[in-house]
Amino acid sequence: MNIRVDASYKEYNGKEVLRIDELCFKEGYVYALMGLNGSGKTTLLQCVSGIEPFTKGAVLYDNCRYEEHTKRDISVMLQNPYLFNFSVLENIIIGLKFRKFNKKEIKKRIESYVSYFDIKDLFNKNARELSGGERAKVSLIRTAILESKITFLDEPTASMDIENTLIAEKLIKTMAKGSRSVVLVTHDLLQAGRVADYVIFLDKGKIIEQGLVDKVLNFPEHKLLKQILNRGDGNDKNSDINY
Amino acid sequence: MSFYEEVLGVVFLSLFISITSTVIASLAGMILAIPISLKDFRLKKYIVRLSETFMSIPPVLMGLVVYLILSRKGPLGSLGLLFTPTAMIIAQSLLVFPIVFGLSISAIGSRGRKIQKNCIALGARRKDTLILIIKECKIQLLSVAAAGFGRSISEVGAVMMVGGNIKGETRVMTTYIALQTGQGEFNEAITIGVILLLVAFLVNFILHGLSKSNGNGDRS
Repeated sequence: MNIRVDASYKEYNGKEVLRIDELCFKEGYVYALMGLNGSGKTTLLQCVSGIEPFTKGAVLYDNCRYEEHTKRDISVMLQNPYLFNFSVLENIIIGLKFRKFNKKEIKKRIESYVSYFDIKDLFNKNARELSGGERAKVSLIRTAILESKITFLDEPTASMDIENTLIAEKLIKTMAKGSRSVVLVTHDLLQAGRVADYVIFLDKGKIIEQGLVDKVLNFPEHKLLKQILNRGDGNDKNSDINY
Repeated sequence: MSFYEEVLGVVFLSLFISITSTVIASLAGMILAIPISLKDFRLKKYIVRLSETFMSIPPVLMGLVVYLILSRKGPLGSLGLLFTPTAMIIAQSLLVFPIVFGLSISAIGSRGRKIQKNCIALGARRKDTLILIIKECKIQLLSVAAAGFGRSISEVGAVMMVGGNIKGETRVMTTYIALQTGQGEFNEAITIGVILLLVAFLVNFILHGLSKSNGNGDRS
């Protein structure tokens, strides 16, 4: 699915928090959405994925406006995913049930996705009893299992240990196979380098730099990005930016 | 009619009217409250304030309004509902509605929005989202219904006005207590008072049990 955002902005209580002049997400890529805290990454993800509307603007999904059926081609893992008061297994398959998948297909998908994380023992446990890391794993599987045309992930590995983070990254890469794509919000530059094809960097609600991951991370043009990547710009007083 | 037969009739009528009005008010109040609690719009805070005002409306005032509407010269006078259990159900439903509506908005609140966002994230239809919100907030909604039932079963002013406290027809526990106390028959009044207390305790015990059986530990 190709998504195009044109001249769009988002306001909260009359204050503009995000302004996008032009942005495209193309099929088959992993996009890393990066930026400092409060730069508008989550707002952009939610507005483009249809969770929240832009205050004004146009978002086109394969040249069509967002309709009720569009949400079937999109799946999102929110920053603080909500696990329902069911068993872990019920939580994992709930999206498939929304899409009216039959039992055979559901079983097939479970078998191919649960192998990523060792969570089979948790299947009958109530999802509310899980730890933070377990919740993150279940939420990622719940999103990945949908095999949507485009998947949005908001800091999916934030509460995972390094071992599971690497497994999650492997899974994220498979989610962008063929014509499918992934938009990943991350604070981890190394993760962006390992997983993404394309980086979009936001600051104060605006895109300050975007391009292929190698180019942006190795040869950044914007001053802020240079400081963050510690490539120097002669401005050492900002070198302690808490990224 | 023996005392016990009369008491039994009064208890059953009380329960019938209170449960029916709670169910009607809960269905209407919750169905309206869920979409309102999930959306932000300009009039929302005024609607919430209005419902809070109506939560504390004096029952006799509600009784007077319903009385005027159902009285012979009122707009619905031709239906002949005044001094019937139906009139009492109408009055009590109107009294319970703002309580259920206002408390449901608070109960669903930010949790409902979180559930809604996650449902959209997983591709749920509106119907699926609504069902999941009700399922996930059922404990809170049961508590709201219990509060509504409490108001309904303990109400005396409105049901006295629109029901008329007619023996064997519209006499309920609260109006019976009021009548017996007025006549100096304190033993009967106390007996009904104890029964009223037991019924209220039993209903709350059942609702609490339902909440507990549906609740689970949450590590988040």
